[in-house]
Amino acid sequence: MTTPVGAPPQGGSARRRDPRRIHGLRGLPYLLIAPAAIYLIVFQGLPLIQEFRLALSNAKLFRPNEFDFVGFTNFVRIFQDDGFWQSVSITAIYVVCCVLGTVFVGLGVALLLNHNFAGRGVLRSLVIIPWAAPPVAIALIAIWMLDARYGIVNRALRTVDLAPDGGNWLNSTTFALPAILIVTIWQLFPFTSVVILAALQSVPAELHEAAMIDGANNRQRFAAVTWPTIRPTVGLVAILMTIWSIRRFELIWLMTQGGPVGSTNTLVIDLYRESFIIRDLGQGAAIGIVGLLVSLTITVFYFILSNRAARSEVTR
Amino acid sequence: MKRSKIGITAVIVVLLVVAGLAVFPFYWMFVTATTSTSGLYSDSPQLFPNLGDLGNFADAFTDTPIMQWLGNSLVVAGGTMVLAVVLAVPTAYAMSRFGFRGKWVVGLSLFLTQMLPEAVLVVPLFSIFVALGLLNSLLGLILVNAAFVMPVIALVLKGAIDSVPIDIDEAARVDGASRGRVLTGMIVPIIAPSLAATSVIAFFHGWNEYVFALTFTSQDALHTTSVGLAGFIGELTTPTQQVMAVAIVYTLPAVVLYLLLQRFIVTGIAAGSVKG
Repeated sequence: MTTPVGAPPQGGSARRRDPRRIHGLRGLPYLLIAPAAIYLIVFQGLPLIQEFRLALSNAKLFRPNEFDFVGFTNFVRIFQDDGFWQSVSITAIYVVCCVLGTVFVGLGVALLLNHNFAGRGVLRSLVIIPWAAPPVAIALIAIWMLDARYGIVNRALRTVDLAPDGGNWLNSTTFALPAILIVTIWQLFPFTSVVILAALQSVPAELHEAAMIDGANNRQRFAAVTWPTIRPTVGLVAILMTIWSIRRFELIWLMTQGGPVGSTNTLVIDLYRESFIIRDLGQGAAIGIVGLLVSLTITVFYFILSNRAARSEVTR
Repeated sequence: MKRSKIGITAVIVVLLVVAGLAVFPFYWMFVTATTSTSGLYSDSPQLFPNLGDLGNFADAFTDTPIMQWLGNSLVVAGGTMVLAVVLAVPTAYAMSRFGFRGKWVVGLSLFLTQMLPEAVLVVPLFSIFVALGLLNSLLGLILVNAAFVMPVIALVLKGAIDSVPIDIDEAARVDGASRGRVLTGMIVPIIAPSLAATSVIAFFHGWNEYVFALTFTSQDALHTTSVGLAGFIGELTTPTQQVMAVAIVYTLPAVVLYLLLQRFIVTGIAAGSVKG
């Protein structure tokens, strides 16, 4: 056993015997965690506090550390601004479409990849590539492929007479958001696919065989055997996609900067523009707080729902 | 039997289409980089790479500051990787092997950092960096990038250490090994695959990062490849072929390393996200 250093453990929580854990050294875990904890407090905790302070201030970009507190003025102003509500609804559309798109495409591709055939490894590797590529490079190739005149997308669509007016994608209030959505889903579905595929491969083969002997068809087997096993993973992937799409910045910023006429202006784009182009840090920070509260609310809801689902599973 | 054969053929055909869609933009990058200027803007597009135009890559290296950008990216990515892994390993070890008061707070905090968008913290970090004099330095970028990727790595590594039987620790302790020796000499070698995967994740977090590099560095000499490459957007003097050549040089290391280590990265991510 371990040799105790210093005082023996006291108190309820340390006394509980868990054979998988080491007991007897009360200070050591704190010592091990201290560097990371201090580091995170400085580079995540302090900025978060500063974010709240800035949101209540009149800080400007050129004097980010000399400001007066102005109460909730920034919040009042953004709530009275139609542009803010427009970006809230664009964020909602963007997030919902991203989550549905990545989860459904990912689930579909994962189910297909879960079959046994020669060359499966190669196909899986090819499918994973978009996720590995840097977003900036993706934005660049997307812009070039969507070029109004010389882009391959419009060249191809023109041959079947389906190109949008003048070949405009990213300059069109109608097509810019769908174009960005397609690129986003294209980049993220590999992630949802491989994570769901990993869950699919943990479905016990015997269960499938038993269901097959009972005469269940494909759909019934999916509903009875596959879905219950992968549901927690799909739920988790969905919440990750939600958080990731709320925070997505590079692709949108590089492809449209939130335009044209604000038609792709999500909350993070709005706050970046407000802070670093209009140079109003207070206003930008206030928008950031709203975005933060929204993703926090969604996450809390998700955990309440998934806990309830897990509990009903147990009682069933 | 016959039906399932048709079924599997359909599966493969659909997957081939999906894989084609996944890869096509990268193929198109390469085709564009190896097309002559007249070919790029002609009425009938060139659909295949012309290896005679590989010189566009050489031109990209001489005509753009790509070497400097890649060097800066390498420093930022390497620094991010080292800092994040060095901080995450002891954290993961403590979270896996010890029960201690306040542990759930640590776990929850690590998870909650996932929800802080870079674009939200870029504003307060800007004001903090002004105060600390960290603007316009690669060190500043390393410090901030590692802070965003370290929690994920710690969670994934905790999962990896959880799967190492504790008997190994105890046997080594009986033999008189110190705790530090147990961690570096026993556990780290066993979790080497996860360590490799998380290192790659941290490295490419720094390699790909754009928002902070854009906002915190204004001097050209400090541009990372992401910022340099993004600077081509809307700029008309650099030929499209060279832009695509730079994009390929920037993308290739990421894709190759992910493909080489995909087994570990995928299981690591899957385990990490399942544990949340």
